[in-house]
Amino acid sequence: MDKLSREEILHVADLARIELTEEEIEKYRVHIKKLLDDIEKIKDVKGYDDEQLIAPWSENCILREDRVGNMLEPKEVIEHAPRHSGNYIQVPVVIGESEGA
Amino acid sequence: MKYLNLSIKEINKLLKDKKIKPIDLVNEAIENIEKHKEYNAYITLNKEEAIKKAKELEDKEVDNLFFGIPIAIKDNIITKNLRTTCASHMLDNFIPPYNATVIEKIKEKNMIIIGKTNMDEFAMGSSSRTSYFGPPKNPWNKNKISGGTSGGSATTIASRDLPIALGSDTGGSIRQPSAYTGIVGLKPTYGRVSRYGLVAYASSFDQIGPMTRNVYENALLLETIVGHDEKDLTSSKRETEDFTRLIGKDIKNMKIAIPKFFVSDIVDKEIIEKINQTIEILKKNGAIVDYVDMKYIENTVTLYQIIAMGEASSNLARYDGIRYGFSYENPKDINDLYLKTRKEGFGEEVKQRIMVGSYILSGENAKIYYNKALSIRDDIKKEFSRIFENYDWIIGPTTTTTAYNLDDPMDDPSKAFMDDVLVIPANLAGLPGINIPIGFDKSNMPIGMHIIGNSFEEAKIYQLASLIEKELKLDLNPWKGEENE
Repeated sequence: MDKLSREEILHVADLARIELTEEEIEKYRVHIKKLLDDIEKIKDVKGYDDEQLIAPWSENCILREDRVGNMLEPKEVIEHAPRHSGNYIQVPVVIGESEGA
Repeated sequence: MKYLNLSIKEINKLLKDKKIKPIDLVNEAIENIEKHKEYNAYITLNKEEAIKKAKELEDKEVDNLFFGIPIAIKDNIITKNLRTTCASHMLDNFIPPYNATVIEKIKEKNMIIIGKTNMDEFAMGSSSRTSYFGPPKNPWNKNKISGGTSGGSATTIASRDLPIALGSDTGGSIRQPSAYTGIVGLKPTYGRVSRYGLVAYASSFDQIGPMTRNVYENALLLETIVGHDEKDLTSSKRETEDFTRLIGKDIKNMKIAIPKFFVSDIVDKEIIEKINQTIEILKKNGAIVDYVDMKYIENTVTLYQIIAMGEASSNLARYDGIRYGFSYENPKDINDLYLKTRKEGFGEEVKQRIMVGSYILSGENAKIYYNKALSIRDDIKKEFSRIFENYDWIIGPTTTTTAYNLDDPMDDPSKAFMDDVLVIPANLAGLPGINIPIGFDKSNMPIGMHIIGNSFEEAKIYQLASLIEKELKLDLNPWKGEENE
């Protein structure tokens, strides 16, 4: 069956910041290959013009007035963070211990 | 007495005349849902709060049609203090600190939220089988899918648990499950309904819309959720309108286009037959029906795959285990936290779409795939505009088959997209579309017709849909004599 290589799957998983199990790697080698084959079909489409549609939206984009409105209490929001202390969100080490970080 | 099988207008009159109280409606809805529990329409029931709310309403004046009416909400619409999971392990403990704009609107009308409905994880799928909480089952046959991604909302409406629900539609997720379960579901024009508080999957497609038992109530519910919202930059400045105003008006000499692709051999014969019978009815009512060619229509699934997965990879980058939701317990550093949180928090389909989306947007690929898809998307929109210069509606079947078996294999990743091949074009162009039931196949599974209207012409869609509904007079209650209802 047509498959991607293990390295190719690990590359896209890295782009997406997702760690995969061995079982998932094998499954995605087939499934992601199929989806990439699907999107390849766009290469055969001809005759269109270059103008792009980013969103199907035709009204003028008006930014809202810059004023202070109702906001959530910081406490209500911070408490959702799995690790927090006072008004701060805690994160693990960012620099220094891992090349990928 | 069963009240929830009455029309909203009839229920409203009983409430106004003080013959019933909102608590009677809430109790009945909960009883129905518990009776149909095995159909798995709900992820979270809001029982205690709903009862509390109903009691509070007893002292208030019945000031609008939806006062005290129980409503079900798809679980990707944010509800303050009510768990909102998106059917994902990533958010299975998430209790939001705010309401989506549509929730504020339905609360203003004093509707009562009964619960949060099942769906595909983060609205990615076509059968609701990617739900972390197991799939909903089709009330017409519990071995069949209810479709997706708004499968739970479709299931509870088809089950006659309660009269109204909200769903969301990115690539057919309201209309397709509505077709599979025999209900009326509308995706509004992009921008009609605020997306603030709708958990984003693919932002340039996502729209919230009403799912109901009939056309009239669909139009009424739409009226309550539309309108400009400064919290959503893409929400239209148009204010609400009476969407029922064209219901009952004749369609004499009005023009209907059927793109040939919509009735090609990708669609089951039984469905084509029902579509043809319905077309005859429309002609008998004086409509002019033409088959038309549409450029790029056969490429829409490919475009959708590229753009939606690209947007998804960006939108779902926020699930990092830091601010809210599931978080891996003992990461060795921040990268490890990202990798393991996303490994354990997301299901298979979601991971797959994020990975493909990340690939599509990386480096040169963005030009090869994404930018090209946006160019063709613009041409698709122009094709629709060209047709709407001469026609009032575009119609076709909503789905290529009726609902299939829950245990059908999930080994083809393209299938989840192909199930929506007939409904995706409207999302690409941002156009409104509805599913209207038109009959049943030989195994008694519902068949639906899809009506696409021009931008902001939802009222006209309801005009045609209500005519079909009136002419066909289908019995769309799956229980019929089986339950004493």
